[in-house]
Amino acid sequence: MRPEAQALKGHLDVLLLAALAGGPQHGYAIKEALREGSGGRFDLPTGTVYPALHRLERAGLIAGSWSLVDGRRRRSYRLTDEGKRKLAGERANWREFARAVTGILERGPWPVTS
Amino acid sequence: MAGHQLIDDYLAELARRLPANDVDELADGLEEAFQQYRQRGLPVTSAAAAATAEFGDPELITRAFVRQAPGRRAALGLLASGPVFAALWGASLISAQAWTWRVPFGASAVFGATLLVVAATLVVVALSPNYRRTRLAGPACGLLVLLDGAMLATVALAAPALSWPMALAIPASVVRIGFAARTVPRILAR
Repeated sequence: MRPEAQALKGHLDVLLLAALAGGPQHGYAIKEALREGSGGRFDLPTGTVYPALHRLERAGLIAGSWSLVDGRRRRSYRLTDEGKRKLAGERANWREFARAVTGILERGPWPVTS
Repeated sequence: MAGHQLIDDYLAELARRLPANDVDELADGLEEAFQQYRQRGLPVTSAAAAATAEFGDPELITRAFVRQAPGRRAALGLLASGPVFAALWGASLISAQAWTWRVPFGASAVFGATLLVVAATLVVVALSPNYRRTRLAGPACGLLVLLDGAMLATVALAAPALSWPMALAIPASVVRIGFAARTVPRILAR
């Protein structure tokens, strides 16, 4: 597994929710939003993004609907109210976590103890 | 669709492994990817190759879908809780001396054989890398509802008194009936 994919483990769900924060999107557009938003670091095998979306849909965090585009069936997803609440909570947790880690990593050298 | 042989073959491979709705969704994304590569100036064949490579190996995609399949998740849940049910009902039957109940041997044999079939089916579903096979959890859940129902009916009709293990086993079976009955349509809808 690539290091980026490994780093994504545990964060994929919230990243998918964040990709939908701007409005409904189809699976490929969501995957592209992740890739572009991460500057190309999070470039998942596209086919594996769909099962993750289905899992979020079953959890009630997103809702999917079918439409017809250029003669093809397209499934688009939008955040549900529960998904919006989840995303807001995860964002707050992440900011707090990042602040704590940054506070340690960017601090000056620790005083030497004897 | 793009109509390129590479993409058609790729989708045909996925169609052999996954439900039609999932293949339609993947096909739409694949077309988007193909068109994007074309807009970047790639020739048709290179664009088709890049799009399919971007989606990943059909085997990898299938495994990702199987991991999330409602049937597999139900099978794992039922198998994980199986020992608890076995302990509860085992204790119930022993404490109530079930061997003295007036239950026809044939009925007991059918019950036991059906239970084994259900357990074996759930194990197959839990271990199988084949998405279609995960749907076998639907009939297995249906049979489990019947088995739990039969056990509750037998206790109601044949048990001389309620024992404390039954006080745990009965509600547990009622909950499992509810879970299995709710899960069957979800599994079969996929």
